[in-house]
Amino acid sequence: MAFTITCPICGPRSGYEFRYGGQDKGPRPDPAEMTPETWCDYVHMTDSCPGVQKEWWYHRAGCGIWFTIYRDTTTNLEVSPDSPEAVA
Amino acid sequence: MFGLHKRLWAARPVKSSYDAVIIGGGLHGLATAYFLARDHNITNVAVIEKRFIGFGGSGRNTAIVRANQRTQENLPLYKEALDLWPELTRELDFNLMFHNCGNLNLAHSEAALKAMRLQVASAQFLGIDSRLLDPKECKEVVPALDISGRPRYPITGGMYHPPGGIVRHDAVVWGLAKGCSRRGVHIHQGTEVTGIGFEKGKVAWVDTDRGKIRTPRVLNAAGGYSAGIASRLMGLRLPISVLTIQAMVTQPLKPLLHHVVSSGAYHCYANQTLKGEIVTGAHMDPWPNFTTQTTAAYIKHQAEFVTEFLPCLKGAKFMRIWGGLADMTPDMAPIIDGHVPAEGCFLDCGWGYFGFKSSTVTGRYMARYMATGECPEILQPFALKRFQEHRLMGETAALVDYSANN
Amino acid sequence: MIRLNHLPTLRIKPGVPRSFTYGRRRLQGVEGDTVATALFANGVRVFGRSLKYHRPRGLYSLDGESSNTLVNVDGVPNVCAETTLLADGMCVASQNAFPGPDFDALGFMDALSWAMPAGFYYRMLHKPARLWPLAVPVIRKMAGVGTLAPDFQAPGRRDEIYPAADVCVIGAGVAGMSAALAAAEAGLRVVLFESRPWPGGAFEYRPGAARDGVACFQKTAELAAAVKASPHIRLFLNAPVIGVYSNGLVTAFQRGRSPHPFDERYIEVRAASVVVATGCIERPLLFEHNERPGVMQAGCAHRLARTWGILPGRTAVFSVGHDPGLEAAVDLFDLGVEIAAVADLRQDGLDPALVDALSRRRIPLLRGWSATKAHGRRRVAKVTLAGANGRFRKTLDCDLLVASAGFTPVTGPLTLAGAKLAFDERTGFFLPTCLPPRVHAAGRITGRQDWHAVAASGRLAGLCAIQDNGIDQTAAIGELADALGSLPGPVRGAKFVIAPDSGKKTFICFDEDATVKNVDQAMAKGFNVPELIKRFASVGTGPGQGGIPGHNLPLYVHQSGASPDAQPRPTTVRAPLTPTFLATYAGARLDMSKRTPIHDLQVAAGGRMERLGVWHRARRFSEDVHSREEILSVRTAVGILDASTLGKFRIFGPDAVKVLDRVYVGDMTRVPRTRAKYSAMCNEDGCLIDDGVIVRTGDNDYYLTTSTGRAGVTVEWIRYHTRFDDWDFGIVNLTDAYGVINLAGPEARAVLQRVTDADVSNEAFPFMGYREFAVGEVPLRAMRLGFVGELSFELHVPASWMAYVWNLLMDAGKDFGIRPFGLEAQNTLRLEKGHVIIGSESEQRTTLHDVGLGFLWHRDKPWARTVGDAALRQTEHQPGRLKLVGFRMADPSASPPRDGSVIVDRRIRGYVCTARYSVVLKEPVGLALVEDDSSAKGAPLAIYEDGCGGRLIQAVVTETPFYDPEGLRLRL
Repeated sequence: MAFTITCPICGPRSGYEFRYGGQDKGPRPDPAEMTPETWCDYVHMTDSCPGVQKEWWYHRAGCGIWFTIYRDTTTNLEVSPDSPEAVA
Repeated sequence: MFGLHKRLWAARPVKSSYDAVIIGGGLHGLATAYFLARDHNITNVAVIEKRFIGFGGSGRNTAIVRANQRTQENLPLYKEALDLWPELTRELDFNLMFHNCGNLNLAHSEAALKAMRLQVASAQFLGIDSRLLDPKECKEVVPALDISGRPRYPITGGMYHPPGGIVRHDAVVWGLAKGCSRRGVHIHQGTEVTGIGFEKGKVAWVDTDRGKIRTPRVLNAAGGYSAGIASRLMGLRLPISVLTIQAMVTQPLKPLLHHVVSSGAYHCYANQTLKGEIVTGAHMDPWPNFTTQTTAAYIKHQAEFVTEFLPCLKGAKFMRIWGGLADMTPDMAPIIDGHVPAEGCFLDCGWGYFGFKSSTVTGRYMARYMATGECPEILQPFALKRFQEHRLMGETAALVDYSANN
Repeated sequence: MIRLNHLPTLRIKPGVPRSFTYGRRRLQGVEGDTVATALFANGVRVFGRSLKYHRPRGLYSLDGESSNTLVNVDGVPNVCAETTLLADGMCVASQNAFPGPDFDALGFMDALSWAMPAGFYYRMLHKPARLWPLAVPVIRKMAGVGTLAPDFQAPGRRDEIYPAADVCVIGAGVAGMSAALAAAEAGLRVVLFESRPWPGGAFEYRPGAARDGVACFQKTAELAAAVKASPHIRLFLNAPVIGVYSNGLVTAFQRGRSPHPFDERYIEVRAASVVVATGCIERPLLFEHNERPGVMQAGCAHRLARTWGILPGRTAVFSVGHDPGLEAAVDLFDLGVEIAAVADLRQDGLDPALVDALSRRRIPLLRGWSATKAHGRRRVAKVTLAGANGRFRKTLDCDLLVASAGFTPVTGPLTLAGAKLAFDERTGFFLPTCLPPRVHAAGRITGRQDWHAVAASGRLAGLCAIQDNGIDQTAAIGELADALGSLPGPVRGAKFVIAPDSGKKTFICFDEDATVKNVDQAMAKGFNVPELIKRFASVGTGPGQGGIPGHNLPLYVHQSGASPDAQPRPTTVRAPLTPTFLATYAGARLDMSKRTPIHDLQVAAGGRMERLGVWHRARRFSEDVHSREEILSVRTAVGILDASTLGKFRIFGPDAVKVLDRVYVGDMTRVPRTRAKYSAMCNEDGCLIDDGVIVRTGDNDYYLTTSTGRAGVTVEWIRYHTRFDDWDFGIVNLTDAYGVINLAGPEARAVLQRVTDADVSNEAFPFMGYREFAVGEVPLRAMRLGFVGELSFELHVPASWMAYVWNLLMDAGKDFGIRPFGLEAQNTLRLEKGHVIIGSESEQRTTLHDVGLGFLWHRDKPWARTVGDAALRQTEHQPGRLKLVGFRMADPSASPPRDGSVIVDRRIRGYVCTARYSVVLKEPVGLALVEDDSSAKGAPLAIYEDGCGGRLIQAVVTETPFYDPEGLRLRL
C-alpha cells in the first residue's frame, strides 16, 4: 500500500509524512463538566467500524498544519468530503 | 495408519439455539469453546466465523510465546499459557510443535537495560526464569549478533528468557477445532453475525446470515473486528485502534538462529521456524485501518533494522510478507470483561499483536467466567472500566504512538 | 559443449569466455551466460536436491519459478542460477546435497515419502511427549536450503533510487514496449522495468512469422531499438518488480552485472499510471516424476537453443498444450534435436501451419495425449505417453521431455495493486474483472498470443496511461480498441489439469516436495479452500512461492469438487514478487542522527558519546562509570554541560498566552519579563509528558524549553490542542538554532563574570531570573536554574557561536578547575535533589500528582480548558496509585539497588526508578514509584533485585531532596 494523503497546502504526499490525530470527535468538552464516563468517551473510545471516517492528520514532514480528511479504513484511500459515504 | 481420512472438524447445520455463542473462530474463541466443553460440560456451543477458522490474527501471527512481560497482572497469565502447550498437545493429540528455544530481547541503551531489569526482577520474583546478559553473553547465546560499536544503536545487553519459544500457530487453531468438534461444539465457518438481540437487559439472541440463534451468552472474540462488533452490534464503544501489523519470512535456510531474538530500539524480532525460514516483523503503521495490505516502506525498514544487529541476514532473501490486524488499546493490555453492556455479553479483545501467547489460558478462564458468571481473579485487572478510572495497566512504559493522547 | 553460434537470436558472445568453478571443477561459459546456462552447457543436469525427499532436480524453467537451480555463489546461499549472469571467477556450489547432487547420501529419503503424508508433523512425533524435543533438531537440520554462516558478510555494494514517472510499465515485452512507446510519444516520462537482461519477453527469441510475415524476433528487436532510442523512456534491465501498491507506487531491484554480480539497486517509483505487461509463465504439466532432470518447459528448451545456442537434448519427447510448444518442437528439430513424438493435450484448435510443419518433418503428433510418467533415476531416459482416457499408451526413449500444460498469466503485480481476478473459462486464466484506478493490463497477460494483437493491446494501455495523466485520448483509445477487436482475441487454453493414472510422485509444488496426493490428503482432512490446503500440505510456501503451483492448485482443488466455490479461486499473491536479498532492501542504510554544535569539542575533552534517540550525547568524560570526579567538580567548583538537545521554541502572537495556558498546567497569564517559570505539560490522562521553563521575551512573545524527547513533537502537540480555536499565534522550533550550555557549581558565577560585562551577581541576576546579555560579542539568553542543585546558569547560545562560547568558558574556568560533565553525572546530581526525569521517574500512567508535582497545577483557570485538567481533578485524591518517593538504605553502607529492581511484599508493590551512591552524602539514595500505602515517610521498602535469589534489600522512604533540602545552594 502506498498510503497517500492530500494536504490542503502541500497536495498529495506520502502518508509517512503525516501523523495521525484520531477520529474527529469535535472540540474538547469543558473539563470542569466532564464525568469520568464522558471524559473517557472523548479521550479513549472509538467506533472502530470499517468504513469511511473523518479524521485528523498533521503534516509533520511538511507545512505543519492539522487538517481533516475522510478516509475509507477498508482501503486506506481518501474519500471526497462530498461523497455519500463521507456525508453519512 | 495416520487416520488419514478422518476430518479434523465436522461441518454441522446451524441450530436455532445454543447455550453459548462465540463470535470469532480464532484462537481465543476456539479455546473458550473448548474449555467450556472440557471443564464445564457446556457443549451446546457455536463458534461463528465469518471466513474460515484461523483467518485473522490466529493464522497471521509469528507464533512467538514468552512470559517476560512487564506487569504482575500479565505475567501469571502468560506463565500459565507456557505450561499449557505440552498439556494441550497431549490432550488434543495434535502436535502444536512447541519449540522451547528461548527468547533473547536486546537492549541498546542504559534506559532499555533498566526497563529490562524491572521485567527480569518481576519475572524472577514470580518464579519465572528470565535473566540479564551482558553483550558478550548475548553473543554466546546468538553468535550471529553484532555486538561491536558499528550499529547505530550498539547492543548494551539483553534479557534472556529460556522458557519461551515458538509454537506452530496453525496447529493450535486446527488442534483446538478438532478438540471442540470431538466434544460436540459446532463450528460454523462462512457465517457472519449481523445482529445481537437483548431482552430485559440480557442478551437473548444473535442474528446471522444463516438464521437467528437464541442464546443466553455471547462472547465477542472477533480480534481485529471485535471493536466494530461491539460498537455496531452491542452499542458499546471501546478504546481500541485497529492497526495493520506486518511480518515476513526469508527463504528457508539451514539452522542459523536458535532463539527468538528481538530488539525494542530497532522495533523488530527474528527467529527461525522449524522449516528454516527466518521470520521477522513488528512494525505497524500508526493509523487505524482494516486492510491487511503490506507496505513497501515496511519491508525496507525491516531489512535495514534486522540487519543492523544480525548483519549476516543480508545474505538471506525475503520471499513473503503479509499483514494482519492488531486491535490496540492505549496501554497495550487486553480488555477482558463480562456482563457489559448487558448480562450475558462477554468481551475478550484488545489483544493487539500479543493475543497468540496467552490465547489458550485466556480461553480457559473466560470459559469459567461464562460458565459461572463470576470473573476469575486473574482476569479482573483487564476490565474495561480501568480506562475511565485513569488506571492504565502499565504494560508499556512508554507512550504509544497510535494514540492522539501523547 | 559446442554452441550454435550463428543464430540471429543469440544473446551470448561465443568467443568471449568466462571461467568459473563448480565444486572442484573448473568450467568455462561465455559472456551472456547465466550461471544456469553455463552449467547446463558444461553437461550439468542435476543442479541440486529437493528439500524433503532429496530428489534430483534440474533446469526446468529459466526465470526462477522454482528453487530447482538455487546454488551457492561466492559464499552467498540460495542464488538463483537462472537469473544470475555469470561473472569471471565465480565459485559456484550446489546445495542440499552431500557429497554432491549426482550422488546424495540422503537420496533414500525419496523412498520414505509414504511415511510423510500431508500434515505429517501435526499428527506425529508428539507421542510420547519426550520424543518431540529430540525430533526438533533433526527436523531443523533436514529442513532449509542453503547455509548462511553467523559471520557472513554480504558481498557487493548497494544503492537506492526513487525516481518519479508519469507512467511505469512493468515488463518490456512486446506489449510493455508498445505501451511505453505510446506514452513516450506523448512526451510523458516513462519508467520501464524488465526482469530479464534484455527486452523482448516471449517473442524475443521466436523465429515464427508474425501476421505480416516478418519473424517475431525481428519485429521485437525493432521495437526494442525504438525504446532504447526514446529519450523519454528509462529502461531498467535485469530489474524484477517486487511490489506494486496503491497510488502508483512500484518497487523493483536491479541485479548487478559482471564483474559485480552482487551490486544491487533498490528502486521505488511513484507513477501517475501503471501498465502491467508481465506476460505469462508456463503452467506445469502434472504427471508422475514431472520434475525429473531432463523434464523442462517449452520456453526453457527453446530459449536454451535460441538465446544461448545450447541444444537442450539429443532426443526429445514433447507433451504440451499450446501452439508455442509445437513451434518449439519444429524449431528444435530444425536446429538438430531428434523429436520422438509430440503429444498435444488438445484435440482441436491447433495451429494448422504448425501441424503441417510437424508432419513435413515426419514428427508424430498425438492429439489429446499427454505424458503420464517420466522414467529414469537421475535424469529422464524414457517417457510414457497416454491418450486422454489412459487407454492407449506408449513408452519412448528420450533424454529430454518438454512438458507444459498451458500458460499462466503473471498477475502478481495486478493483484498486489488491488485488482480482482476471476476464472475465465475460455483462456483458463484468472483474469482481472476489476482493475484499480490508473492501472492497466496489456499483452499476453490478457490471453492474447498474436504478436500484432499483443502490440496493439500494449499501445492501447499506453494511451490509457496518457489519459490518466490528464491528456485526453478518448478518440485515439476508441479507434485503437476497434482495431484491436479485429485482431485475434484471447486464445483458448487447455482444460487439462492432471495426467490420467498419475502416480504417487506427481509434484504440484517442487520446492516443498508436495504431491497431488498430499493435496488429496489435506482435502480428506476437511481443508477445502486452496489457501488452507496450501498451509496444511505446504504447497507454494517454499523458496519459489507460487511460481510452480500457483495456478494448478486452485484448478486441481476445484476439479476435485472439494471447494465450496462455484469457480476456481486464485490463491493469494504476496510481495516480494521475486525473492530479494535483505541487503538490497536495506540499501545504503543512511543513518540520520544529530550532533550538537560542540560534539567534536566534547570528544576531544574525552567525552564518551552515546546515541540517544536522534542525538549523540556525552555519557561521561572518564573511565569511571560513576563519574565521581565530574560530580565533585560541580558540587565543589564548577562543571560545564552541553544541554543543546533541549527543545527550544518561540511562541508569539496575540493569543500566545492562551496557547500556553491550554497546554501547561500552570497559570501562564503572569509570566514576568525577567523571570523563568517552571511548568509541566500533561496529556489528557493527567500524565506528565513534559516539563520545562517559559520566559517572556517581549509582548505576546515567549521562549520555552522542552525535554529532549519532546522537541520533535511539541509543535504538533500544541497545534493539535488548539486546532478548533482559530487563535492567532505562531510557533517556531528553535531547537537546532540555539545550543545550550549549563554552567553549574559554586564557582559558576566567577567563571561567567570573567567573560561578560553584564552584572551576573545574585542581586542583579537572582535564582529563576532570565536575562539577555553578551558573552564576548555573542548575544545570548541566560537563565538561573537549578536542575543539578547548585548555582547554575543555563546559557542559550546561537548554534554557530557555541564552540566559541564553550571555549571561552573553558579558558575562563581553568583557574577554577572547570571540567565538562556528562549525563551520568547529571543523573546523580539531579537525583540528590530529588528532581524528576520524565520517562525515568515516570511512565505512561504516572500523573502529575503521582510524581509530586501537583503543586504546578493551577486549578482555577477554567477558561483555558487545559489539557489533562479533567483527569487531574478526577485523580487528585485517588487511592491505590503508584507514587514517587525518595528512599535511603536501611544500612547506609549497603550498595544502592540497581535501577529497575522491584519493591515487594507478598506481591510487587513498585520499583526503583533511579538509585545511586551519593559521593557528597556518603550513602546511597534513590527514587522509587511505590503504591501509595507504602509511600509515607519512614515506610520500609523491601527491594528484590534481579539475581538476588530472594535476599531482599531493605530501604526506608525518606523526604526529598536528599541534598540541600532548603535549596540554599541554588540561590548563592
